[in-house]
Amino acid sequence: MKIRMTVNGVETSLDVDPGEKLLDVLRRTGHMGVKKGCGSGDCGACAVLFNGRAMNSCLIFAPKADGADIVTAEGLAEGDRLHPIQEAFLAEGAVQCGYCTPGMMISTADLLSRNRDPSEEEIREGLSGNLCRCTGYVKQINAVKAAARAMRKGKSADV
Amino acid sequence: MRYLRATSLEEAWSAMQEGGETARAIGGGVDLALFVPRGVETLVDISGLFRDCEDAPDGGLRIGAGLTLTELAESTSAGRYVGGVVADVLRRVASPLLRNLATVGGTLASAHPWSDVIPLFIALGAEVDLHAGEARRMALEDLVLDRAAMARALITHVQLPAAATGAKAAFEKFTRTGFDVGMLNCACYVVLEDGLCRTARIALGGTPDMARRVREAEAALLGRALDDETIAETAERGAEAAPARDDQRASAEYRRVLAAAGIRRCLERIAAATGGQS
Repeated sequence: MKIRMTVNGVETSLDVDPGEKLLDVLRRTGHMGVKKGCGSGDCGACAVLFNGRAMNSCLIFAPKADGADIVTAEGLAEGDRLHPIQEAFLAEGAVQCGYCTPGMMISTADLLSRNRDPSEEEIREGLSGNLCRCTGYVKQINAVKAAARAMRKGKSADV
Repeated sequence: MRYLRATSLEEAWSAMQEGGETARAIGGGVDLALFVPRGVETLVDISGLFRDCEDAPDGGLRIGAGLTLTELAESTSAGRYVGGVVADVLRRVASPLLRNLATVGGTLASAHPWSDVIPLFIALGAEVDLHAGEARRMALEDLVLDRAAMARALITHVQLPAAATGAKAAFEKFTRTGFDVGMLNCACYVVLEDGLCRTARIALGGTPDMARRVREAEAALLGRALDDETIAETAERGAEAAPARDDQRASAEYRRVLAAAGIRRCLERIAAATGGQS
């Protein structure tokens, strides 16, 4: 069946199998920042913004995305200019091995779009669906705080 | 496989009728995305329908089945209902990534014994509006035990009744993190009138069986002041009456200890919120 969706601002029309997951559709169309970790909604590496909310793309049937606006971690940047969330993850060393990073940044984007000054507890809750296989979360939490500070200073357009 | 995003109840029901045993209704689709049972050929996505959440005319809360758990948690109506307990509990269910996808209707239809939402809604006295050719309403407590009724019907709304003045509710779950499936959970709803308990609903979930009320514990509360002695006795009754069983997460014995602790903590919080335990 055919679906139409917007991925990182680009309208796209493609054939999908009705049982296929959005994660697999995105990866096979070149959006490799969407990572496949567990494939069962536990790790959050596949998170994308789906109409502005962060979700596990491994749990979304592709036809559900018909008409949806999808943003992957790559889509946070504006051309060559990194998003403050991306800059903060780099500056704080929160990238670590890099596998969970795109999902972490997507969860951060959802959180900061609704709360520009989250407490540490709110940050931990906001990232609770994203597992880091390097088993370190301190730098990511610091990165979210730094991104929030940068975004409050108005360095960025809205997510 | 066929996937239909229904644009009306009629269209959804007709696809369910046509598909018979091979059709399944989905909201967010979380459970079906993890596992499609053998023989299922048609998914009827009804998450675009029933997306309203409003204060019912009688003072209750009417929740559209298509709302995501996040949308319900963020709604002003849920924030007001019985001290905001629905919003508070939903913010601790699973992870934001899952709450943004899972719907209220899907959560009830999946009827997981470890669900946090189901015991909370049972304690609040929820009724569920179903469509199975015609509209019908069932108490959530009965519906979650009636797989046959659930399988062949579409959930359209959840109706939480008007809360009496002074109604309080609390929820407690025993997990290492919010994301874990708990060892047990507990929801309490209490109405005090002139300092005495007029209404009490106590539900235990993840026992590890389906959430249900423990009426023996409720009976220990009725007509009494919510003081330390009543709370201790209610917790003890709840532990005795809890339908606890061993599984890989906890022993029956440990679950009884948790049931008592859950009930005690909920009731202590309710007592504190009513301004003292007199």
